[in-house]
Amino acid sequence: MSGAEQLSQYLISGLTTGAVYALVALGFCLIYNTTHIVNFAQGDFLSLGGLLLYSLLAGAGLALPLAFALTVLGSALVGAALERLALRQARSREVTVLIFITVAASVFLRGVFKEVWGKQALAVPSFSPETPLRLLGATFTPQNLWVVGITLAAIAGLGWFFNRTLTGKAMRAVAINPRAAALMGIDVERMLLYSFALAGGLGGVAGMLITPITTASYTIGVIIGLKGFAAAVLGGYGSFMGAVVGGLGLGLLESLGAGLMSSAYKDVIAFVVLLLVLFLRPQGLLGRGEAARV
Amino acid sequence: MEPLLRVEGLSLAFGGVKALDGVSFNARAGAITAMIGPNGAGKTTAINCISGAYRPQAGRVFFAGREVTGLAAHRLARLGLTRTFQNLQVFSQLSVLENVMVGLHAVTHQGFASAILRLPAMRREERAIAEQAMAALEDLGLAAVAHRPAGQLSYGDRKRLELARALAARPQMVLLDEPVAGLNAAETDAMGQALVRARDLGVGLVLVEHDMALVMKISDQVVVLSFGQKIAQGDPLQVQNDPQVLATYLGGRQEPVNGFAAGAGRGPAAGEAAHA
Amino acid sequence: MTRGGRIFALQLAALALGVLVMPLLVGNPYYLNVLNVMALMVIVVTGLNLLIGFAGHISLGHAAFFGLGAYISAVLSATYGLDPWLAMLAAALAVAGIALVIGLPTLRLAGNYLVMATLGANLIFTTVLLQLDQVTGGPSGFSGIPPLSLFGQAVVDDQSFYWLVWAAALLGLVVARNLAQSRVGRGLRALKDAPAAAAALGVDVARYKTSIFIISALYAGVAGSLYAHYFGIIAPKSFDIFVSVELVTMCLVGGMGSLWGGFLGAAFLTPLPQVLHVFDEYKDIFYGGVLLVLLIYQPQGLAGLWARLRARRPLETA
Ligand SMILES: Nc1ncnc2c1ncn2[C@@H]1O[C@H](COP(=O)(O)OP(=O)(O)OP(=O)(O)O)[C@@H](O)[C@H]1O
Ligand SMILES: [Mg+2]
Repeated sequence: MSGAEQLSQYLISGLTTGAVYALVALGFCLIYNTTHIVNFAQGDFLSLGGLLLYSLLAGAGLALPLAFALTVLGSALVGAALERLALRQARSREVTVLIFITVAASVFLRGVFKEVWGKQALAVPSFSPETPLRLLGATFTPQNLWVVGITLAAIAGLGWFFNRTLTGKAMRAVAINPRAAALMGIDVERMLLYSFALAGGLGGVAGMLITPITTASYTIGVIIGLKGFAAAVLGGYGSFMGAVVGGLGLGLLESLGAGLMSSAYKDVIAFVVLLLVLFLRPQGLLGRGEAARV
Repeated sequence: MEPLLRVEGLSLAFGGVKALDGVSFNARAGAITAMIGPNGAGKTTAINCISGAYRPQAGRVFFAGREVTGLAAHRLARLGLTRTFQNLQVFSQLSVLENVMVGLHAVTHQGFASAILRLPAMRREERAIAEQAMAALEDLGLAAVAHRPAGQLSYGDRKRLELARALAARPQMVLLDEPVAGLNAAETDAMGQALVRARDLGVGLVLVEHDMALVMKISDQVVVLSFGQKIAQGDPLQVQNDPQVLATYLGGRQEPVNGFAAGAGRGPAAGEAAHA
Repeated sequence: MTRGGRIFALQLAALALGVLVMPLLVGNPYYLNVLNVMALMVIVVTGLNLLIGFAGHISLGHAAFFGLGAYISAVLSATYGLDPWLAMLAAALAVAGIALVIGLPTLRLAGNYLVMATLGANLIFTTVLLQLDQVTGGPSGFSGIPPLSLFGQAVVDDQSFYWLVWAAALLGLVVARNLAQSRVGRGLRALKDAPAAAAALGVDVARYKTSIFIISALYAGVAGSLYAHYFGIIAPKSFDIFVSVELVTMCLVGGMGSLWGGFLGAAFLTPLPQVLHVFDEYKDIFYGGVLLVLLIYQPQGLAGLWARLRARRPLETA
């Protein structure tokens, strides 16, 4: 393989994982904007997406579109449950406590997944037959296209939702100023519930997209979730554009880094980048610096 | 003589909002310099820029003969410049006494190593801190509640606690952000007397306040801000009769159609109501 | 001595007495071993609790600091023949340095970036342990670590290590308490409550947070070194992110920010897996569920419960 071919190979695989990171990062942003907490269970939504898809396809024998829709619904429900059954019930409003409720939920969910689906890796079929495609000398599968295509569609859908629908605008209002939003008659609690459901759904989509490539398992979301977080920070935590750019950027960086240097430390790259960004430009690449108001 | 605090051309914008637009003024030691202006005029932002909570985008700040622009808040505290907060910032998990003991942080020294080893020097210093803090509490009539968690204090007592905490270390200057907002007449009076006592001991005070009666009574100098700009400066009498100040304060009320909204946003009385 | 000081002295004396009589009560060396592990956990969790209680920051990387202490001690003493005590000292220095590098950028930011940074660091650490198998022994672990020696005697058996590790745990508690009852401790608690006000009064918020993070990491590092020299063999699995979650669980179960929280949490949760044999399988559900219930309904943990039962102020202010 020539150098150029190799490069386009790295680019394609980088864009694919980057798209998944972007979806996860968007989930982090959604919840952060409305609640100002980091949701550690975001990665577990991703695990759940892959596992549910596996069961609905291989277990229940449903057609892919139906299985896809049900999985989105299922992971959105789990997201909503996290908000309604755990965070909403908390006696303390301290951010540290709330963040740790999501950590606990993540551990708990992982335990449940392990009981239900076991520890082994489960093979999820690709969305369409795996005839290799070639582009600029790189070989890739249609699943790569599905990943990038559905991610783009999800981003466009989110954009439409937040800019064109009343509910979407209400959620933005809550993110900007919950007190003022409540005064305007917006049901803030309901919007919080929606943002968790939406984040759950996004995680589910990410899980369904990536597991045909990686296989599904109860821990698959842990590392990918963390990288999605790194992507969100990279882009400027809370910024939607930043999440997308950060996700794609991190995916490319990782794939190029692993290809050109060493794949043994592939997982390390994201976190070294994370620490560097926090050190040099904590507001992220696209975020604006904002001092705490006193 | 060089004033204790000199502010030159301070500017800071939040997005499109010019919260501060080239504000300059001086404040002397042993004097009360009031800073007044309608809601949103930029008073709190000015305090934030001077005290190191924000970094101004333009302009310079000089304190006690040296430039301190952009210096971190804790460094300024060590130079003798501290502040209080418009939205109360007491340490609610600490006792009242401990709150004031933190007020002595800037003038004491024992660090991590001596704390871990519990050295005699550290224990001596602790005793001195506690005594001095107690004295500061007595000054403001809070000694009786010294051992209560600060979170349990009434609103008025918390306001007094913030002042006691700020004055404990005998700073050269304190920036006060609405110290009597929400207090009743008697409490306001007592707070005013405490401020005057501090001034007479030589502390320079910058007083941001909407209570005009208090401002006019105890200030030595008044600076008026409006939309981020200084529109007047002088002694209380001069400022009260300044046509531009009158227009800013009274103009809103004369607005015929939307008098209520304009008054609510701009008037000093409305400002107090909002904070009560 | 203040009233709070007397109470602490009494509590500490009671614990010391318990430590003294315990070996008489347990004949089975296996239980002694459990008690030794418990003491190690008391050290780590007490340190972690300093960070959570004082700075309001949570670290999900304390297993990595624990592991760094263990591996650096192991490699320096076994591979390079350094005296175990010196190896332990070097490990502590390295842990402090790494904590500084992680804490400096993240702790000056508002928001809990430290959580992710430490979690990321823990993942990096595990990866490095697995990849650098020439040095670390890779997935199968590192063995042949020499024991510490005291007064010319090797501290190898459960009994002698028991004295050493519980002395260290008690010392750790005393240090934590000394920090709490001091000018810096007050500054730390203040900055957790209202950082802007603490800064305006002269508390160097970033430096204080970084310092307490380093101290907290040092507790873990020292415990890690002790662990390595006691067991003689260590493996990456003991130091992964799941262990970090367990440590935080102990801290929260015991009582966030309470002086005795670390002790209570470790004492309560360390023996559990030994008692419940089916436990391993349901570990995640158990830890996750306990944590969830506690965080939602009783965020102050066991120490808070204790304080509430006695209708007194939380222990940290006692
Ligand atoms: N952190 C911030 N981010 C964005 N805008 C801000 C911030 N702080 C202040 N502002 C804006 O800057 C302007 C000046 O605000 P500032 O708080 O300084 O007014 P003020 O004179 O203290 O008013 P008040 O009397 O109501 O306390 C306002 O328009 C305010 O909304
Ligand atoms: Mg103000």
